[in-house]
Order: sequence, then C-alpha cells, then structure tokens
Amino acid sequence: MSEFEPSIEASIRLWHGVEPPNAPAKRLAAELASTIAAFEALRGTLAFEDEPAGFEAALQATKDVA
Amino acid sequence: MPGPADITLIQAADAVHSGELTSRDLLHALWANIDAVGKQTNAMIWEDRDAAEASAEAADKAVRDKVTIGRLHGVPMAHKDMYYEAGRLSTCGSALRRDFRPTITATVLERLAAAGAYTFGGLNMAEFAQNPTGHNKTFGDCHNPWNLPYVTGGSSSGSGASVASRCNYMALGSDTGGSIRIPASACGVTGLKPTQTRVSRYGVMPLSFSHDNVGPLARTARDCARVLRVIAGYDPKDPTSSREPVPDYEAAMTGDLRGLRIGVPTNVFFDGADEPIVAAMDKALEVLTARGATVTRLALPVMDAVAAYGGIVSRVEAAPIHAEWMRRDPQAYGAHISGRMYPGYAIPAAYYVEALSRRGPVLKAFAADVFDKVDVLVTPTIRTCLPTLADTDIDHGPPGTEHRFMALSANTRPFNYLGLPAISIPCGFDPNGCPIGLQIAGRPFGEGRILKVAGAYQLDTRYHWARPKLLDKVPAAPAGAQA
Repeated sequence: MSEFEPSIEASIRLWHGVEPPNAPAKRLAAELASTIAAFEALRGTLAFEDEPAGFEAALQATKDVA
Repeated sequence: MPGPADITLIQAADAVHSGELTSRDLLHALWANIDAVGKQTNAMIWEDRDAAEASAEAADKAVRDKVTIGRLHGVPMAHKDMYYEAGRLSTCGSALRRDFRPTITATVLERLAAAGAYTFGGLNMAEFAQNPTGHNKTFGDCHNPWNLPYVTGGSSSGSGASVASRCNYMALGSDTGGSIRIPASACGVTGLKPTQTRVSRYGVMPLSFSHDNVGPLARTARDCARVLRVIAGYDPKDPTSSREPVPDYEAAMTGDLRGLRIGVPTNVFFDGADEPIVAAMDKALEVLTARGATVTRLALPVMDAVAAYGGIVSRVEAAPIHAEWMRRDPQAYGAHISGRMYPGYAIPAAYYVEALSRRGPVLKAFAADVFDKVDVLVTPTIRTCLPTLADTDIDHGPPGTEHRFMALSANTRPFNYLGLPAISIPCGFDPNGCPIGLQIAGRPFGEGRILKVAGAYQLDTRYHWARPKLLDKVPAAPAGAQA
C-alpha cells in the first residue's frame, strides 16, 4: 500500500468521522488517484464563467426550440 | 388476444374511460401476474391490496356516475419505493428506512392522483437508489424476468421488472446516473429521463440534488409521453423545477422522421461494446432511416470533462446525506453501497465547486458542437451483453467486480451531468435472451423530439410487445376481462 490510501482514510476520519466500512471502500478510495489524474488533465482547458446560475442559463440557451 | 395486464398504460386508461374494462379488471389482472411470478422477480417490497381495491371501486363509481375523469383514470400503479406519501411506508430500499413513514407527499404522486391513477404498492430498488444492477441486501435482489439469474439493471430495478413482467402499467423510477434507462434497457421496457429541472423532486428521496431526475418506465414511448405531460412542470415546492411550458408530447408523435438528423458517436459510447449490441444498433438505425432520418457519425466534444466532473458530483452530494448513518451504522448498507459512498468524503470542496461551475460551459460547448450537426444522439443504453447478478456482486465477489458493475452505467452517466433528456427503448435481445436497449438523447427540453423518434421506431418494431416466457405459465385472464 502506498502513502496515498492511509492519507485518504486519515482525511476522511479527521473531517467526517467515517471509517472505511469494508474492503471495497478501501479499494475504491485508492482509485481516487485516477480522479485526481482526470482533474489534472483538464487544467487549463476550460475557464470559469463570470455570471451566476450558469447551468440553468445554459439549459435555456441550448434548449430545443422545434 | 391479450389479457388486461398485457395492454399498455394508454390502452388501460382508454379502456376504463370507455367502459370496456373496469379499474378492478386491471387491478385483478395485475394481482394474477404478481401472484404467479412476483416471488421469482422479487420486484415488489410491499403491497396494499385493501386500499387498492377501495381505490379501484371509487374509480369505477366515478365512471358509472359520469364524473369528468383524468388522463390516467382508474389505472393502478406501483412505484420505486422512494416516493413519499404521507403516512405510507417508503423504505428507499434500505434497512435504515424499513419502517419510515414520511409526513409529506411527493408532488409527482399528487399529480398522478389528480389524473386519476392510484398506487397499489412499493417496488424493489437499489438501496437509496445507488446501484445499476438490482442487488439489494435487505429486501433481496431483483431478478430479470427474461432470464432470472441476470441483472434487472438499477437502481429502479423493481420498476423495470414489474412493467416487463406485466405486473404494472407504469412505474416511476429515478435517474441520477442511468437508474431509469438501465433497468428499462435490461428489462425490455421504455424509460425516460427528462431534462434536469423538468420534473419536481419534492417528496422524493434525494441522492444527488444536481443529478437526480424523476421519470416513467412503461411499455411504450407513448405511455411515457402521457405520464410526462402529467408530472412535468413547475412546482413551487421544488424551486429548482423549470417554468418551461409543458407541451402535448403525444400529439407530436406523428411517426414522421423526414429531415431528422441522427448522430452516432464515434468516441466513448462504443468502447468495448459487444458485437450483438452493435448489430442491434445498426438494425435500429435502418428502421429510423427508413422513416426519413439521416445518420451522421461524429466525435463528441468535452467528454473527458463530462466524465471527470460528472464522476464526482453525485459522490460528493450523496456523502452528507448519508454521513450520520455512515458514522453510526455503516454495516446496515450493502458493501457495494457504503464502499462506493466512502471515497466521496475525501473529494475536496474545490473539486466539487469546479465541477458544478463548469457544468454550464461544458453543456454549451457540447451543444454548440453537437446540435449544430445533428438533432438527436443514438447510442446503446448499455454497451455490453447483460451480466448476471453473481458476476456483479461486489459484496461477495473478488476485487475488480466493481468495474463490471460500473460498466453498466458508462453510457448513461454522461447525460446526467449534461442535464439532457434521454430515453431507452427495447431494440433486440442478446444471446442470453436478455433485452438490448437503444438510447436516444436530445437537447434540453427536447423530450418531445426524442419521444417522437422513439414512438416512430415502435411503430415499425415489436420488441416492446415481447412477453417474457416466465408469463407463459400464468393462468388465463378471467372471462369477461379481456381487452
């Protein structure tokens, strides 16, 4: 086991008081490394919008008008 | 000649309206099938036969008295057991809510009741709507009516199984990552996830406020169209619901697809797809093009962002909802539920805010590129032939089982983050006799268009009429109760 898994478990314990309930929990927590990698890959590819309520506005802006 | 349980929701409603059948005829036909196959599929968690008989009698009296009746008058229904009705059991599929009786009633149930429908029971589901297979530690796994060892799909497992096994005319499901479309595909029925904000979530057990959707599973696209018109529209009790007008979806289902531009993705949606699934897709496209549609193959943009951002929103939003139970009684959950929720507690708030903040821009980028070229997207609902319950049993299976489990929702999850409407309709059978589903997705508030495409397909095919062999042993419907 790398240092990654114990650090994730410690963080969850510290912030939420939740213990890993079973083996799948430990395995899936270890897979957060791939979540981090996916976010890293997106850095610099998209900008934030300035206006509020971006998603609801986007639904309206892109809606089907047929 | 089909019995009363074999007809569609709309045929049932019309038969009660015309006096050809009574509501009691419908109810008793469903009871006959439930008594015959219900234990094998395990689609129901609870039934209230006395209350249902009283509702049927009241519905029939209204017809006799020539009272003005609604679009769904006299149709009995059971729903995924997470729709709150004040004072009535709502287990959410979990031991933690085995005895939960809410004090409020879901807006969608009120709207169905106002249209004349009534509820006769609560349907099996994944615990707290959190798996794509139909496993359930507390109430037992739900079994596919087409081949019992195989998954029903989830999380609306009982919704798919009950409609497919002719034990229900329509069931509400919920869809946070595919939980309506996956069981619709696996069980050979039609399931519609509306646009995010299209249908009120008031009184519905939450999983992920940003991704949760309410929608129907029924036999046909036309059935779903009727239900959507009843349940959609702004609800002051759910401030996130849209004020967008609700059209007459059925009226637009003309079958005419001339000029329709269909897009078939060349990336993501066919990665690792099984050959029978690809063959069924190609055959379905031939049906649609014969009605006047054209097909364009195209690469979809921003899919890496959709996967990365969409992948964390549901996990983070579920975490606080379940935190008290995860601290106090984590073993009350199936291991596949608590195990998958657990990493959600470690995802940083900054990631979550980034995912939500970029949802609008990602949708705009996707729509600008895709819907400039095509009107709808067509994909398999599930890329692979269905697995068995044993193959996807994380609680008892070896490490790696979780990847087979999550593969079921690979083609449905993207449309939850994007907020787009999508429907699954049956389009064939795999070598194990399990149904294959065709997913059609459209622009925001484009339910009318995807229902029109689905309805046109069902005019020329018979997959939605196919009947599981399980029902061959069911006794014939009583004389005088034929449709």
